[in-house]
Amino acid sequence: MSDTSLIDELPGELLMWVLIVSELLVFGAGLIAFMGVRLTDPSGFAEAQSHLYRTGAALNTGVLVTSGFLAARALRWRQAARRGAARLALIGAALLGVVFLIIKGAEYGGKAAQGISYETHPFFLFYYLLTGFHAAHVLAGVAILLLVAWRDDPRNIEAGGQFWHMVDLVWILLFPVIYLLG
Amino acid sequence: MPSFSFARDTHADRLTRAWAGLIALSLASALLTLVPIEPRLVGGGILLLALCKARIILARYLDLECSPAWLRGFTLVLSAFAALIFALCLV
Repeated sequence: MSDTSLIDELPGELLMWVLIVSELLVFGAGLIAFMGVRLTDPSGFAEAQSHLYRTGAALNTGVLVTSGFLAARALRWRQAARRGAARLALIGAALLGVVFLIIKGAEYGGKAAQGISYETHPFFLFYYLLTGFHAAHVLAGVAILLLVAWRDDPRNIEAGGQFWHMVDLVWILLFPVIYLLG
Repeated sequence: MPSFSFARDTHADRLTRAWAGLIALSLASALLTLVPIEPRLVGGGILLLALCKARIILARYLDLECSPAWLRGFTLVLSAFAALIFALCLV
């Protein structure tokens, strides 16, 4: 009989996995509620969706997956005792997180210029709630990446990277539902 | 040690391939929205591509490829989520 339980098979910190599952459940519930409310006014939701800046959001997908790649490489490099390369990769990942927030800020600015707020239509209430909550996670993630670049113990980098990949994963699920599904 | 270097490079290559796969799937999603076909088919395709991307992030970035049981579990739950979203899209 094996001594290792299924829980022991999880890479990294167990608490980070609890956080990842919790966040996926929260965003998943939000997206299901969004699709549920959409049923009450499909044409209104489609019209509201046409005001979104899809190109910017698609660009942000590339920015986040590239940032996640750098964070994953940072851990491998730190484990191989390449501390300088790992730190640079983490700083690069954090900078791409800032790029994501700048594009997101431009998108919000564009909506404000058109007079669109969370009160305009229920679509925009969900849009601001879900993308805004995700952007708050990106902001927290940038701070965490910079923190683990400074305190660069491999376990810190692994935990910081896990948080960042969770942010990436949530965006991968959120982007098509909010921006693309018509 | 040569064996250590080989293992490290292999892992790095897998990460690079994962990143390239994610970019390719993201481009495919963008292109799919431009194809003049039934919107519901487009929606299904987009959700399928998102599921593939999520699996790559779980397997390679979050290292769940080392724990196949967990990777299967996450994939199953995310597939059920995508199926529910698609069903709500079809209603």
